[in-house]
Amino acid sequence: MNSAKQDPRRVAVVAAGIVSPLGFGLTETLQSLRQARDCVTPVTAFPVDKTRCKTAAQIDDERLLNKAQRSRRDRRLHRASHMVIAALAELLEAAPEFPPEIAIVGTTSGGMSFGENFYRSLGNGNGCSAALIANYPPQKQIVDAMEKFGINVPAEVIANACASGTNAIGHAFNAIRAGRYQRILAGGYDALSELVFVGFDSLQAATPEKCRPFDCNRSGMVLGEGAALFALEELESARSRGAEILGEIIGYGISTDNHHLTQPNPDGSGPRRAMEQALAQAKLGPDQVGYINAHGTATILNDSAEGKAIIELFGNVPVSSTKSMMGHSLGAAGAIEAAVTLLALQHQFLPPNINFRESDLSLNVVANEAREAQFDCAVSNSFGFGGTNATIVFRKFAR
Amino acid sequence: MSLSVAGMSWVTPLGSDVDDVWQRLLAGETAPVEILENEQNGARYLVRRVPADTPFPSHPRLRRASAISRFAAAAGLAALARVKPAPSLDRIALVFAVSNGGVIYTRRFYSEIVTSGAQAASPLLFPETVFNAPASHLAAILGIYGASYTVVGDGAVGILALKLAEDLLASDDLDFCLVVGAEEIDPLVCEAYRQWRFLRKPSTPTGRGMIMSEGAGAVLLERSDDGGVPSVDAAVSAARIEQIVPGRNFFRRSEAAAELGSVIARLENGIGFAVGSANGTFIDQVERTAVGNELPLYSPKIALGESVGASIFWQLTAAAQALKTGRLPGALSSPANPRALVLACGLNQQTGGLTLRLSR
Repeated sequence: MNSAKQDPRRVAVVAAGIVSPLGFGLTETLQSLRQARDCVTPVTAFPVDKTRCKTAAQIDDERLLNKAQRSRRDRRLHRASHMVIAALAELLEAAPEFPPEIAIVGTTSGGMSFGENFYRSLGNGNGCSAALIANYPPQKQIVDAMEKFGINVPAEVIANACASGTNAIGHAFNAIRAGRYQRILAGGYDALSELVFVGFDSLQAATPEKCRPFDCNRSGMVLGEGAALFALEELESARSRGAEILGEIIGYGISTDNHHLTQPNPDGSGPRRAMEQALAQAKLGPDQVGYINAHGTATILNDSAEGKAIIELFGNVPVSSTKSMMGHSLGAAGAIEAAVTLLALQHQFLPPNINFRESDLSLNVVANEAREAQFDCAVSNSFGFGGTNATIVFRKFAR
Repeated sequence: MSLSVAGMSWVTPLGSDVDDVWQRLLAGETAPVEILENEQNGARYLVRRVPADTPFPSHPRLRRASAISRFAAAAGLAALARVKPAPSLDRIALVFAVSNGGVIYTRRFYSEIVTSGAQAASPLLFPETVFNAPASHLAAILGIYGASYTVVGDGAVGILALKLAEDLLASDDLDFCLVVGAEEIDPLVCEAYRQWRFLRKPSTPTGRGMIMSEGAGAVLLERSDDGGVPSVDAAVSAARIEQIVPGRNFFRRSEAAAELGSVIARLENGIGFAVGSANGTFIDQVERTAVGNELPLYSPKIALGESVGASIFWQLTAAAQALKTGRLPGALSSPANPRALVLACGLNQQTGGLTLRLSR
């Protein structure tokens, strides 16, 4: 590690791994995005008879758990650990020679459903397994995954609500850019849980209908789950070892909106500051951005504040919220959407914003179907409870 | 990178005045122990609580907030208040360390789901269950609108938060980083640690095991390119963090001493004493093995209790006070070298350490 002041380093994405309702791995994810697949289904993990919202985008357990080597130890791990293991397996298959110095990841709830089971076990007098307690904490899932593959580095786990994944990737980018590290494992993860599902339902932020980001009849979010990880490396280091480079991260912005614990300032100033910062760091003008993967939760307040900021700053740039297909995976969302943005850049297409009919904003929404496009730079936004706003900028890598 | 500690504060079960609490620790005082009962299963726990008469800031954001946010606000404001002139808010980042988080509201919210049904769960409680709720309140109270990060982990999370702060301060865009750790006590958390067999039993109040506590700690860090002298008038510490080393994870308890030992090996030599995280569990032996028998090793957790996310900030404050006063509590010999080692070994796999010395 080098702490001396230097010229900013360039930061390459040399490998990625993803599991989400869109699929296992980058190839399946790409296919689902191109097909505009709606992954939202009725919730099966817990009772939803007393909630307004009854759907979520869920990862098939049979497939998730079958993918894992089901040792006795594996069977004790939380579903979120298995998601991180699946993502890390894909990443390491592509970059087996990637020894990270640190892992910087985001999550909001770690192994929350184990905490729920623990609480219920106290009430019913059945006692509980110590494994529930040991595997519940939010840092455990990334540590489990690293242990599985023989990696042992410190795990810095950022819990900035729904911006956690983007904050983790953005902070990792800045740390490499400043010469503090050469290689960082970054990303995010979250699994669906009853507490969080009911929480958003209680706030009436979750919809009993279709998730329609940026639509004038939008009525709220649906939840999702998943994990995505990235191998980030200082560009010259990656080049010197002949690593494949999937793309570059060139800018990151973070701001805090002190308006309200759960609501953005309607003037869009918080998101706008994050986007402006990211563009400034990337040394890009708004007209150089060809696609924005929006936070786009489909809540009334988020989409109007974010939409306002995007229109003011970017004008007519194509925008989509891929949460319309795969739900809002909270701490994983920024990481999964970073992977989506990277795929869009690599394969030169615009992922769709499904269930879209008509906008009350003047946004250029990529409505319902993927579109081919040519662009060099793309933005991914994530905003969260607590007023945290984060934006990262990707650039297509030119050899 | 060297970091000046421009401000420092704590909210502990023994009080909130840095010098006063330190003098009481030097005198061998320990925080009072209470019994907390779990209504769900009747279990009882020994706990150390922040005194009921502790003054907390008044702010609309804290009206409905949980205890953890009030502890954090008090500690954060106190750390900032100790520096003159006040740092410019557009050049401060906030980093928050937490392990259990807002567990009081989390338990209440889930309890409503279980006992009354999802339709009865209060939308007022849910937002406070989010890990970064205390950081959000603190940012709003202070008027910080730039970078704010909440870091989660086990008892070593404070080291990771301080490391994140150090990395943030590598940027010329920032001058200061306020790093805060806080926790609150709830029967649910106590029960988890009890079933994990880490808690001291009420029937053996002087036996092995830890006693949970609550509170907060805060440090205001400044990037120091000029030999570690803070640009602001630091009323308390004038201490400097020389190195921060987040450690590897231990996958089995038998590996913990070796991992902590490798943290120590990466830190500079010439250490006069260590302030550790011993709390009455396996960590006591782990730290003694890692440090060796020669170095004086003190843990404030023995007197203040285990505050998990807040604990490293109590340790850091204790280390700075020991450097400043040249004394350590109890029968421990006086520090022979003006450099302290602060160690963290969590209960669930994480480790880390840092070195601290006086800058003038």
